[in-house]
Amino acid sequence: MNTGTKKKAAILFSTALLASIMAGCGGNNGNNEPAASNDGSPAAEASSGPVETLTVEVFDRGIQGQPDLNNNTWTKYVNEKFGKPNNAVVKFVTVPRSQEVDKLNVLMAANEAPDISFTYDGTTVTRFAKNNGLYTLDELLEKHGQQLKSYLGDTVLDYGKYEGKQVSIPAKRTLLAWSGLFIRKDWLDKLGLPVPTNKDELYDTLVAFRDKNPGNVTGVIPWGTAAAGMNYSFGNLVPSFWGPMSEEEFVTTTNWLKPGNKDAYKWLNKLYSEKLISPDFALDKTAKQADADVTNGKVGFYGANWDYPLTAKMREPLKQNAPDANYVPIDVFKNAEGKYIKETYNENGLFSFIPKSSKHAELAMKYLNWMADPEVLFFLQFGEEGVNHTMVDGIPQGIAQTGENMQMSNLNLDYTLIVNGAELGDTEKNVKTYAAALATGDKDYEKMAIDSYRINTTDGYTGFYYGVPNEASIKYGKTLGDMNKQMMDRLIVAKPAEFDALYDKLVKEYMDAGGKAVQEENVKHYREIKESGK
Amino acid sequence: MKAVLDKSPDYASLKKKNKFINNLKRDVWLYALLMLPFAYILIFRYAPIYGVIMAFQDYNIFAGIKGSEWVGLDVFRFIFQQDSFYRALKNTLALNVYDLIAGFPAPIILAILLNEVRLAKFKKITQTVLYLPHFLSWVIIGGMVYLMFSNSGMVNTFLANLGLAKIEFLSQKVPWLMTYISVGVWQHIGWGTIIYLAAMTGINKELYEASDIDGCSRLRKIWHITLPGIKSTINILLILQIGRMVSIGFDRPFVMGNSLVSDYADVISTFVYRVGISSGDFSQATAVGLFQSVVGLILLIGANYIAKKLGEDGIW
Repeated sequence: MNTGTKKKAAILFSTALLASIMAGCGGNNGNNEPAASNDGSPAAEASSGPVETLTVEVFDRGIQGQPDLNNNTWTKYVNEKFGKPNNAVVKFVTVPRSQEVDKLNVLMAANEAPDISFTYDGTTVTRFAKNNGLYTLDELLEKHGQQLKSYLGDTVLDYGKYEGKQVSIPAKRTLLAWSGLFIRKDWLDKLGLPVPTNKDELYDTLVAFRDKNPGNVTGVIPWGTAAAGMNYSFGNLVPSFWGPMSEEEFVTTTNWLKPGNKDAYKWLNKLYSEKLISPDFALDKTAKQADADVTNGKVGFYGANWDYPLTAKMREPLKQNAPDANYVPIDVFKNAEGKYIKETYNENGLFSFIPKSSKHAELAMKYLNWMADPEVLFFLQFGEEGVNHTMVDGIPQGIAQTGENMQMSNLNLDYTLIVNGAELGDTEKNVKTYAAALATGDKDYEKMAIDSYRINTTDGYTGFYYGVPNEASIKYGKTLGDMNKQMMDRLIVAKPAEFDALYDKLVKEYMDAGGKAVQEENVKHYREIKESGK
Repeated sequence: MKAVLDKSPDYASLKKKNKFINNLKRDVWLYALLMLPFAYILIFRYAPIYGVIMAFQDYNIFAGIKGSEWVGLDVFRFIFQQDSFYRALKNTLALNVYDLIAGFPAPIILAILLNEVRLAKFKKITQTVLYLPHFLSWVIIGGMVYLMFSNSGMVNTFLANLGLAKIEFLSQKVPWLMTYISVGVWQHIGWGTIIYLAAMTGINKELYEASDIDGCSRLRKIWHITLPGIKSTINILLILQIGRMVSIGFDRPFVMGNSLVSDYADVISTFVYRVGISSGDFSQATAVGLFQSVVGLILLIGANYIAKKLGEDGIW
């Protein structure tokens, strides 16, 4: 009797256990599966024959109030206009913005990368191409990508070549400014100070911010920043300290060894020790604290992407928390020659590619080609007139959005993989359009964007494009990149007395960990290019 | 269980082979239940060992293990030339030693304290409260630590208001190590305590009664009855802990570390993450993992051997 009960109980428990395991698996699958089926994807009823599913990567930027990244105005448009005619469903696979390369490596290794994957890291693409993991796109581009080809042009497409073969489709970057510097004009006015135009004036201004606390806030931060690598930067401070050097040296030498580089960090170190820079910036790995400080009106001066103050996540909370705050873009780091040199972007943006594991390469190319249609691009960037924008003098003015109409990235750049920045023909119009779209009708912000773009393209230089992969960089690039960030943080926070010794020690470690190998290969490639050029 | 045993047939009359089948038949449901953990270990612990091959290859993620090129010990040679590897190894050992020194006795002491508590309700509540942090993810703990111990955090604001100097808990070597270790102890203490409390309930109550009659003090009882009673448990946990010396969890150093303390916070698991996942160099990551396991095995066997030599029970 007793045994019988026990046996029954055993069966019951083991089945329950099994069932719960199954349920667990099922639940997970359910989560990974995008919601496309729920919203009655238009393609499903479109035509006979099996429906193809095209997967496309999209960044998850974790914006407050963002809609389902797989079910919103933009994805619906894509499925309606591209999916339906091609008897396909387009599903978006989310990848966290701050870990895009990490996640991509895992997806690629598991043969589960989306049919259209992308990254901003050129070295990663080269590594995949070198390991023979990407489709060669020349033929596909010729056959299904004529519209795309003529849109991007040869200059942009060249950035996506590996050993003469097209392995990725670079996006066209229409706005080339990189970082910018912003100062609280209202604080300057209150203190009766002019806008600083060089380092010394900036230093005095920051000291005044610290001592006089013009905003009357608790915990004033004269110069706000976050740990190296996330949105915040020191603008063109470091290049402004560089001394004269030959072109070869300028191009090939690692920044740490450039003449004057040490002085730049020494200056920052001094500022930090005098409590002019965010005290906990090195711990602020996600830049959330810096964002909060800026939008709470505690920060007098900061450096970030040239359009950072325009982004909705900065603009809206600032307006609420500190309505008087008025950040203006400035150019302050003048070098010995009296120039404000700064790095600007090359003409390419992110790199889209089709992994070898994809079974829909043709459809993927058709998708990118479809996107090059001006009408499609316009909708994805600006949405519908009257809903997402209003037309004023031929320039679409953005309307602030919430819910499923919201754009998670500036002009939906995460959904429009072939372009970065507004695309309406000439640069001036593009800047104006971009500004108007982001400023959502606020004329002050519009002006700020136009000023910021002008300032941050003045005296610009671009990174040298070798056209050949640097093997050492493929091997050590990521490690060196991580080291770079750590070195910056540590040097700024170091005790002033220990600075010199630490700088030399860290630079030596950096060079030993691959920095030297990368530099030597750069010199070799550079000389080869110059030789052949003659 | 009693019923099951009652049913068992006369063993002596059976041949060996039959005995096995009979055993199997008799306890078939128990074996079926055993299959679950067995399958788990087979799939998640043994099957992946196949991947160790990657450490000896120039692993190409697209060609897989079959298609990748063999390079012998090149990957190991490359790793052993890197300073950052030795730094990670050194830090892993150092953090684990500190953890052992601070974290190993803590649950024993706490268990003894709880064991002496008379009020059952208080004991239960305390136990539960202490056990709770075990269920928090390190990401959350990391956020709490940042809020409390950063330069503008709660503790430092408090110190500043008292007119005291700030302590840089998260960016200086010694304060960071202290924070790291104590937060770890705080998280693990409840879990260890439960194990020791369970061991204590197994101690014969008559021993305590006898000592009461002999007029033993509380401390004497702890020293002569409780501690010897849980000695074998302490022993086994210590051996296991030593076996884990080279391996270290990923979340804790990753979440608590930052660039300012990277010289002592970069450990093997974060090193593997960086070269393996971030740089996509799976060969190197596997080789480091393999190295870690081999050293761990040596330490485990060593600790077990020493324990047995000292006349204690080992784990096998």
